[in-house]
Amino acid sequence: MAKDPFETAVAAHHAEIHRYVVRLTRRASMAEDLAQETFLRAYRAWRALPEGANVRAWLFAIATNVCRNHFRGEKRRSVAHATVRATGNELDTAGPESETLFNETRTLIEASVERLPLKQRTAFILRKIHELEYEAIGQSLDCSVESARAHVFQALRKIRQSLNGHELP
Amino acid sequence: MTSKHPHCVAIEPDLVAAATGEAGLAVAERVRHHVAHCAPCRGDFTRYRAIEAITGQIRTAPVALDDEAGARARLASRLADVRRRLLMYRIFDSPLGHILIARSEEGVALVEYLGSNSVQASRLTRIADGVELVEDDDQIERLCRELTEFLEGRRVKLDWPLDLRLARGEFDRSVLHVTAGIPYGAVTSYAAVAREIGKPSAVRAVAQALRWNPLPLVIPCHRVIGSSGALTGYAGNKVTLKQRLLSVEGMPTVRSPRDFRIARAATYACDRSEREYCLPTCGSIMRRSLAGLTLFASRERAEAAGLTPCTTCRPDLHPLER
Repeated sequence: MAKDPFETAVAAHHAEIHRYVVRLTRRASMAEDLAQETFLRAYRAWRALPEGANVRAWLFAIATNVCRNHFRGEKRRSVAHATVRATGNELDTAGPESETLFNETRTLIEASVERLPLKQRTAFILRKIHELEYEAIGQSLDCSVESARAHVFQALRKIRQSLNGHELP
Repeated sequence: MTSKHPHCVAIEPDLVAAATGEAGLAVAERVRHHVAHCAPCRGDFTRYRAIEAITGQIRTAPVALDDEAGARARLASRLADVRRRLLMYRIFDSPLGHILIARSEEGVALVEYLGSNSVQASRLTRIADGVELVEDDDQIERLCRELTEFLEGRRVKLDWPLDLRLARGEFDRSVLHVTAGIPYGAVTSYAAVAREIGKPSAVRAVAQALRWNPLPLVIPCHRVIGSSGALTGYAGNKVTLKQRLLSVEGMPTVRSPRDFRIARAATYACDRSEREYCLPTCGSIMRRSLAGLTLFASRERAEAAGLTPCTTCRPDLHPLER
């Protein structure tokens, strides 16, 4: 079982994909199911994956799709507006007093990331948290490398604007 | 929001690149020069640096997962379930029209003549017990190639791992198991198979079991014929196809009024309880029913099956003329 290449991919990437989904959906409770769905889909498509393909980038693309479908479903059930506020604190980590300003800025950034449109938020998380190449981000968002770059830039610009007038660490 | 100078708007992407360490030397220098003289952009640059520092911290101290080990274990169990249920299939063009091959992780589970039909006509679509279908599989490509070679007489064995999940039950499985052992270029009868599984009166049930053979060609049910030597049925009403498959293996047949039959006078015969093969003229063998015999298209086929020439009729000294 250990030599199975798919099992190897699961072992190598599950935790990271799980974290990505937590961050993207802002709901730890949903994230396990969505990460699971990502890997079940990946398993079904595994044989069609060309040899030498970037498995990590491919898994991120599937996870992004799974989350997008999840958001669409949520929108249809029109409960999306109820979820954001309730979960804002799930990702917060408390720090010692000396780091107050740093943590305040972090909270500010996290809040403005949450307000970004989905594509920009996804692009930002993929680039800045998971350090994916723009090409892989394009693959995830089904857009060109240039558009991926533009989404990341727009995201950063909006986050930067949210820091205008605030004291920085 | 105050409006920015066009030059400041234009340089902002470079500002970001410089703040995040993605800028080349020339760009970094241009940004450095600009922010030295532009207070608003200097502020922006500082904010971008702060964002970079904080995202860096988020990256290196990632969100804690409540129960990653449990999540992995639950995924493993779901995956095992999917693996069990998943059948991968491909339809390919063969000399006999469209043929569908489906396989699981255990082995090949279905070979089906589709003629000119698509997958919608396949047995797969009628399987209800949670089988999940996925089209396309590189491994099936190899199977398709081997099957084509087999149909063209360039391959005598399809040595594939098999998955008998689509067989209808234990009785059918035992029939399929015996049938799988009938060698290339040989035929035996439904009655002989019935005897071999210890149910000599279940001749019709054997025929039914082979009618539902999920793995025709691989489990060579075309090598099972009537006790009289008539080919009888195949895959419903495809008796012509049966004759064609047998002739690819060198088995001589003649047309009869309603059917085809084996040209017994042109085959070697072997009593299924013996390890020798005979000329058709040996003793009374020609008059015996096929219930206890296997016929071979050639001496080579009989010997490839591990048989030796009969020491009485000596087929090795007096081979049949072809």
